[in-house]
Parts: sequence; structure tokens; C-alpha cells
Amino acid sequence: MIPVCRLADLPRGEAYRLESDPPVAVFHTDDGEVFAIDDTCTHQDASLSDGWLEGCEVECPLHASRFDLRTGSVDAPPARLPVRTHQVLVEDGMIYLALSEAPPNLPPCGVARLCGGAA
Amino acid sequence: MTTTSLPESLIATLPGDYYTDPDIFRLEQEHIFESMWFCVARSSDLDKPGAFRTVDVGRESILVTRARDKSVRAFFNVCRHRGARLCTEESGEVRRAFQCPYHAWTYDLDGRLVAAPNLTKMPDIGRTEYGLVNVHVREWLGYVWVCVSDDPPSFEEEVVGDVVARLGDVEAIERYGIADLEVGKRIVYDVKANWKLIIENFMECYHCATIHPELTEVLPEFADGYAAQYYVGHGAEFGEEIKGFTIDGSEGLDPIPTVSEDQDRRYYAITVRPQVFINLVPDHVIFHRMYPVAADRTIVECDWLYLKDVVESGKDVSRSVELFHRVNVQDFDACERCQPAMSSRLYAKGGVLVPSEHHIGGFHDWVQARLGTRQPQ
Repeated sequence: MIPVCRLADLPRGEAYRLESDPPVAVFHTDDGEVFAIDDTCTHQDASLSDGWLEGCEVECPLHASRFDLRTGSVDAPPARLPVRTHQVLVEDGMIYLALSEAPPNLPPCGVARLCGGAA
Repeated sequence: MTTTSLPESLIATLPGDYYTDPDIFRLEQEHIFESMWFCVARSSDLDKPGAFRTVDVGRESILVTRARDKSVRAFFNVCRHRGARLCTEESGEVRRAFQCPYHAWTYDLDGRLVAAPNLTKMPDIGRTEYGLVNVHVREWLGYVWVCVSDDPPSFEEEVVGDVVARLGDVEAIERYGIADLEVGKRIVYDVKANWKLIIENFMECYHCATIHPELTEVLPEFADGYAAQYYVGHGAEFGEEIKGFTIDGSEGLDPIPTVSEDQDRRYYAITVRPQVFINLVPDHVIFHRMYPVAADRTIVECDWLYLKDVVESGKDVSRSVELFHRVNVQDFDACERCQPAMSSRLYAKGGVLVPSEHHIGGFHDWVQARLGTRQPQ
């Protein structure tokens, strides 16, 4: 399990971006649940931790596709593929993460090479 | 240069090209509208977070909105990325953010850059540094005023100062509780005339007996041609038979209870330079904002404000609105009649002001001083 951050440092309604490869977004919902999904929208390179959290869904800040934090499924285009979900454990006030072993659904990323990121 | 001597009763107006020349209008945009406090909206037009309006202030498009903390914010309506106009609608409401329709740079209601494609791969882009650029903003009298200058003049000296110069003190306008009144009617006029013709018209009453028969009936002293804007602290008194400030002199609406006894049955008028004109009567307030569009075109937005109860109970304000609406139409017709002649060869050096209009000369001096075009005497 990977340690993420202290639960107390992640207020309800907010997200934490873990700089893993690919990055992971950890959400603390208004109801007090903690979920983790891939941070990158499957349509275009946008950070879902910058998105709009409502209930158990996050809306991509760029084109408004909504991802279910529990299943990773997407409600409507332009994103078509789900994001991966990751297993979360909260123990002694610390959030831990077990990364999914499934292949991620990352957006086409020619730009990443130009930006110096992973292709 | 030849000097024309005028009879003592007369002083000169501005030359005709001040009302037609796009270069002069450009100077006015820079040295007046972009340098001063400019009224852009009624606070209640931005009634909840995300409600917005876009307004041209001089050559700039300005976006005004209300943030989550209920404060009013104003920004240059320009995406920080490639300069696309962010909001193209005149008014509307966003749920959470303003998004550029070009590359989807996304800004929250505080103007902070919250998302953009590939943004996380460019961690050196400051979210505030590349957020929307703030414009100075104030709320007063229930209206939103902005100043697009980096170094705004004192709001108290300029805006409040113009009100005090006319009424004598600021308490006189505060007694009308304008921020707490409600818009009972709004009319927008598209006037094919230079903004200064409209201001000058508002400043004098030499025309009142000729073009405003209804107004002169309600305010008989207007027949002598001296406007409410000639004196300090003077309100024109209603005629003896007049019950209220209405088209036929019939009873008005519920009076504003905090208006003082000496303000009762009187009409006050104030010009707040460069583009606001306010009328005060015991039961309502009429609040004009002028939006100069071009040398020969001005949009005038006019609100009739009443006590909340009056508006909410659906009382009939039509006779009340009709009086000044008719005055507006009469005035703007007159301004539109002048505009074409401003480019006549005959008017190249301008016209003349009679004694009851001489205070307009002060407005002309002010315009020339701001533009730096004052002719050596």
C-alpha cells in the first residue's frame, strides 16, 4: 500500500493529486467517504482533482464528462472510456492506496512528449 | 487665429467635431471612461454567485460577476492564453466557472485558473498569475462601479464628490436608501447621439417648457429654464395641485419613509461624471447609466426604483414610470436632432450657451482638461 496523506489534511469536498505515474486523484466526499481514481480524464489531458466533486461523482473541469468515483464509469461524451479505480484504506488517520493493476485508459498523448512528460 | 467675440450673454460650446470625430471619441475612451469610475450594473443584476454581465468600458470589455463569498468581482474579459473574449453574452449565469470557448482554459469565480488542457504538465504556470486580471470594483447605492485604470482615482472624491457637489451633503442621497430599493421598471434606449449631447441636455432646463409639457406641469418652476442642476441643494418643488411625480400629477406610490420633510414634494437631479444621472423624488429614484458606443451612438439604461413592498405587491407603477420615460424620449429625440448637425460646416466652431446654460461651459472645460485639448485662452 502507498501512503497518500493524512485524512485530516484532506477536507471533505476536496481532492489530493498523487504524483504517481500515471497520477491518481484521491477524493474526500461531502459524506466522508474516500475514493481514488486515475487523475487524468480519458478524453483529454485534464486533471480530475481540479474537477467539480458532487456526491460520488467528479465532473471533468474541461468538458464536463462525469466519472463515478465508485466504479470509474463515465456518464456521457466527450470521454468514452472509464477511469481506473484504486483501492483505498484509511488506518490510524492515514490514507493508503493500492494501485490497480489494470491498464489505464489515458487520453491520446502526443503532446506529452513535447511537454517532456511520459509518452 | 481669429477670435470671435460673443455678446456677454453667450459663451461658446465645444466645436462640432467634438461630437463626431472618432479620434476625439478615442481620447474620451482613454482619458475619461477608462480612467474614471464607471457604473456597470445594478447589484441585483448579479443576484447570486456566477451571475454575470459583460460591459464595454472605453475600449475594454469587462466581466462582472459575484463570487461564492457574495462579493462582486470584475475582470478584463480576456482569456490569458491567446486572448479570446471569454464571455460573449451580455448577461447570464455560470454554475461554477468561466471557460474560454477556444482552448477551454477555465477560471473560477475568483478569476483563478482552475483547469486547462495539459495544465498539470506545466506546473510552473501560476494559477493566480495566469488567472483573470482584476479590475477595481466598488458597490454604492446598490450599483456596481468599476475602474479599469491601474491607479483609480478616489471613489469618495470623484463619485461621492459629484453627488455632494449637487446636493450639498451625502446624507441627502442616503435618505433615499437607494441600495434597498427594487427595480420596478428598466428601459434601455439606443440613442443615435454623442454622449455629451445627452449629458448637456440633462444639465439644462432651457428646453423644458418647449419639449417637456408634462414635466413642466408637475414642476412649474422648470418653465423659467433653470434646471435642478443649476443650484446646489435645490430641489424643484411640485406644483400646488400636483399629488405625485406621475404623468398626470396623480398620486404616486408609497413614499420612501426616510426621506426628510424638506425633500418631500421636491425633485432633485444629479450628474455623476462621466455617465450616471440620478433623479430623486419622494416615492422613487430614477437611475440612468450611459454607455457610449461610438461618437454618434449611446446606449442609455434607465431603472425606476421603488420600495420593495411596492414592487413585490405588484402595485401599478405605470403612471409613475410614464412621466420620466416620456421625458427621456423627448430628450433623446432632441439629442438625435442635434447629432447630424454637429458635422455641418455651420457648426464647425460650435454653438452658444445662454446664461441658464453657462454651467455647461464648466462641463466643456472639464472634458477638454481631461483630454488635454484645452485651447489657449
